[in-house]
Amino acid sequence: MISRKLACSVVLATTMALGMAAAVQARDLRININADPEMIDPITYSALIAGDVLRNVYENFTKVDENGKLLPALALKWTASADNLSWRFELRPNVKFHTGRPFGAKDVKTSFEALLAPGSKAGLQLQYLQRIVGAKDVQDGKTKDLVGVKIVSPLVVEIAFTAPDVLFPIYPFMLFDTQVVADKGPNWFMQTSAGTGPFQFVSWQRGQNVQLKAFKDYYGGAPKIDGLRFIVVPSEETAVTMYEAGELDVLVPASTDLSRRIMRDAKLKAQAQMMPNAQINYLGMNQNLYAPFKDKRVREAFCISIDREAMTRGLFGGLAQPLYGQITPGIAGYNPNVKKIAYDPERAKKLLADAGFPNGRGLPPLKIANLAPFRNEIAYYADQWKQVLGVQVDLDIQERATFLRSLNAGETPFFSWGWSAAYPDALYYLSQVWHSKSPFNRARYSNPGFDALIDRATITPDDATRYRQYHAAEALLMDDWGTCGLFMRTAVTLVKPNVKGVVLSPMRILPYGKVTIN
Amino acid sequence: MNGNVEAIADATGIRDFLRRFVRTRSAVLGFILVVLAVATAVLSPWITPNDFSRTNMAFIWEPPGQDFVLGTDAVGRDVLSRLIVGAAVSLVVALSVLVIALVVGTIVGMVAAWKGGWFDALVMRTADVTFAFPDLIVAILIAAMLGPGIPTVILSLAVVSWPGIARITRSLVLSLRSELFVDAAIVSGTPARTILLRHCLPNIVPALIVRASVGVGFVVMAEATLSFLGLGVQEPLPSWGGMIRDGLPALRSEPHLALAAGTALGLTIIGFNLLGDGLRDLLDPRIRER
Amino acid sequence: MTAYVLRRLLGLLPVLVAAILLTFAANRFVPGDPITIMLGDQGGNVELERKLRAEYGLDRPVSVQFVDYVSNLARGDFGLSFRYPGVPVTQVIKDALWISPLLAAAALTLAIPIGIGLGVLAALRRNTLADTGIILILVAGLSIPNFALAAFFVWGFALKLGWFPVAGWTTWKHAVLPVVILAIPAAAYLARLARTFMLEVLQQDYVRTARAKGLSERLVVWRHSLRNVLVPILTVCGLIFGGLITGTIVVETIFNIPGLGRIAIESIFARDYPVTMAVVMLFTLFYAVINFAVDVLYGLVDPRIRVEAVR
Repeated sequence: MISRKLACSVVLATTMALGMAAAVQARDLRININADPEMIDPITYSALIAGDVLRNVYENFTKVDENGKLLPALALKWTASADNLSWRFELRPNVKFHTGRPFGAKDVKTSFEALLAPGSKAGLQLQYLQRIVGAKDVQDGKTKDLVGVKIVSPLVVEIAFTAPDVLFPIYPFMLFDTQVVADKGPNWFMQTSAGTGPFQFVSWQRGQNVQLKAFKDYYGGAPKIDGLRFIVVPSEETAVTMYEAGELDVLVPASTDLSRRIMRDAKLKAQAQMMPNAQINYLGMNQNLYAPFKDKRVREAFCISIDREAMTRGLFGGLAQPLYGQITPGIAGYNPNVKKIAYDPERAKKLLADAGFPNGRGLPPLKIANLAPFRNEIAYYADQWKQVLGVQVDLDIQERATFLRSLNAGETPFFSWGWSAAYPDALYYLSQVWHSKSPFNRARYSNPGFDALIDRATITPDDATRYRQYHAAEALLMDDWGTCGLFMRTAVTLVKPNVKGVVLSPMRILPYGKVTIN
Repeated sequence: MNGNVEAIADATGIRDFLRRFVRTRSAVLGFILVVLAVATAVLSPWITPNDFSRTNMAFIWEPPGQDFVLGTDAVGRDVLSRLIVGAAVSLVVALSVLVIALVVGTIVGMVAAWKGGWFDALVMRTADVTFAFPDLIVAILIAAMLGPGIPTVILSLAVVSWPGIARITRSLVLSLRSELFVDAAIVSGTPARTILLRHCLPNIVPALIVRASVGVGFVVMAEATLSFLGLGVQEPLPSWGGMIRDGLPALRSEPHLALAAGTALGLTIIGFNLLGDGLRDLLDPRIRER
Repeated sequence: MTAYVLRRLLGLLPVLVAAILLTFAANRFVPGDPITIMLGDQGGNVELERKLRAEYGLDRPVSVQFVDYVSNLARGDFGLSFRYPGVPVTQVIKDALWISPLLAAAALTLAIPIGIGLGVLAALRRNTLADTGIILILVAGLSIPNFALAAFFVWGFALKLGWFPVAGWTTWKHAVLPVVILAIPAAAYLARLARTFMLEVLQQDYVRTARAKGLSERLVVWRHSLRNVLVPILTVCGLIFGGLITGTIVVETIFNIPGLGRIAIESIFARDYPVTMAVVMLFTLFYAVINFAVDVLYGLVDPRIRVEAVR
């Protein structure tokens, strides 16, 4: 009798224990991406989808929390010298690479050298290194040694600059273990993982998925899930049905239409998390490729023919706000008094007529380019230009890779596109997108006055002064109608109720290191 | 004595043809559907209630109702207007393809049959090779090279369609060649062109009609598929295939777009297929016996 | 018989030659310079451009390129992808290679019995309500585009009923809906043909004789009619298979299946011409081989064909 009771209790206790252990599942977190990442290595990294994946694998000196606030990551402390010509980083101890080797000051130096090496095809990070002493020599192939980076001790590195680079600590680098290149050769990133992040790269099956697995020795604590699987799902409808069927844990909608529909479905809305996206959306008018754009009046006419308020209400169903300038609210350096762009069809018509194209007559054929998920937006703009200006603008829907490559080559005459903030400072938008020397100035806009203001801002350490310079530069850009802001999206992400720890920030989803699945 | 086969056809009679046609219910149904589609297309400039590309931020994804009989799409455009204009677009494309394929195919087929020799061999080889490629693949290839758009769709579908017509024409002309009246014409010195056009062509027409009506359904379906894949008709021109592509993601909560376009597309193709079948049943002498 | 087979094999040659020529031409004479596109924002980097051009063999004269192209093809080397720089095309498509033919074969296997069965049934019950009903269903099956069918099926069977998964490619269940959707137009086409042939056969003298002899309906149908129907059906199978292969293009896109069809579409939009051409070549090869096999089978089954071919 007693033994049966005992047996029962044992069984009960065991079941409960097992149950609790099973309550926190160790399995992969499945997230959708709507196209293959453009690249999977930290050197050529330059695009959004790749960034979403790689940020879980590679880390930087600093990181950002859900409010956009700066936190230490691989660097615990960073101080500028008195003359602002160098930065001293005290690195975090006991950090291991996925390869097992320890991370230290030497890896900062070798990572930078790998990026600067001639023929490296380096992406976004290259320009952040331009002001380091000796960077040019490495880029030209004269030496392999980046003299500006001094290894003071295993965990302290001092970086010297040719001119002050006040935002250096927040630039989004991806520090990696360069030893792998020597070990595995130039295609190492397809076989090994060389970062310090909470997850390591396992495999990339093109067109299907990217598989990451948890890094047990992560300094922030091993992730409680097995790994991450980024599943390539080009069709949004398929993605939604996969999410509902439980085949996806996190759904990241790419298009506005899907976000709207999610918010109108009670069941999905309950699982939605929302966060305004630190991303500017602008109209790209390449003055070199379409002559009428050289006339400021034409540019203004196109810009003020769009009713931003109606668009954010109607097309986005309220999941956006109008954007007038080129800095988003919530980012350091935003100008709350930025001049609004009013919807003014009468003035637009008059401007176009004054420029010599009354009712659009005399304008050469014009197409606006964008991707399929955003075709509704450009359909709206095109219709507005037809109604207000009498100009027939055709829609040029392109495929992602082709579109990005031609944008980067400056070969797209007319487009609308966005730029997401990779670090929490307005300089990112202004310098990356509108400075004439930036490779990501896709409209190839050139304004020496603007360039001068930006150049000055990058060496101004005092925040308040610098922000005033941002405001001035933005005002200059807007007065010249080099572009116009369009809108700022509110990102909607669906997360299954049994998944906790997915954190949205204005700068995309934070790394999934603290996620648990119940 | 007029050996012209047309006279024989007359004796069997148009009246007889019509009587048998009406007796085939499905052919009649097909005919009605086709007439509906064609009428919609032809009358489209007058019957569209709204401008098909006019966006309307205040009426996004409206369900069917008073203002918009079939509702609106993602940018507030009237679905009914787009459906009507889409009919015109699809049918114009199909007609163009048909005309090109018929003209090219008939001429090539007749010349090949008449001249024989290397030209004939060349034509037959080309036809064989074209048949060797799955049609959609050819269309996709051409679209890949030339970029998407209506001219591309017309060109690629015409390229895929003419060999079939050429083959039929060729074999019919070959068999006609041995007919008595043709021999008589050759002997009396009638130029080849006259023989082909005046004597052969009228006898080929029924077979061509059958082939064409059976083929239209395929062309409409292929154009819709190309537009669905993004290779065909480009925005802002509406096409049924493109509307289905737009409407699929919203099928769950706003099905009216995909359903309307799908129904229109389905009914139109069904109509052409039924009509084609009916015509074949009626005009193909083999089956006529019963 | 061997002569017949050889002749058929020889007939494949012009097709393959045409395929090779066309794909090479399309590859080379395409708008836009692929190297420029690949360079993207490194446009000014002359050394990199030279390196890429050499890597892709685009710096040599066209005739040399063609010879290389053909010899590479013989070895199964389709060159390098444009979209994933430096990656051989064979690597991009190797995992997808077996998926599309598998789907098409499964669909054909499903379509043949259903199609023939329906067609024969309709023929036997000619001019009754069942016949008309079946005909209308068949026409609908042929006319409704597969993407429309897919939408309804996914909505009904996957979402509402939950019987099958929506998309992806991990379990056998993932194959059901795509295969069924592929099979429907094929079955409809086969059914119509079967009905037509069956009707013709049923009118033949020997069938009337069999009936007059008092043989049971079943015997008449099976022994005398069906066999003659099967032969013409066989010839059509090649055509159907070709249609199925192209059907996989749309179906794979909708169901997110990583097969050749989906790769074909993506590579076209991405201007990844080497991959597109490789897929086109493969599709054509499948099609040609199937047709060849059917021709041989036909020759085996129907001696008249072999004799005729001698002419």
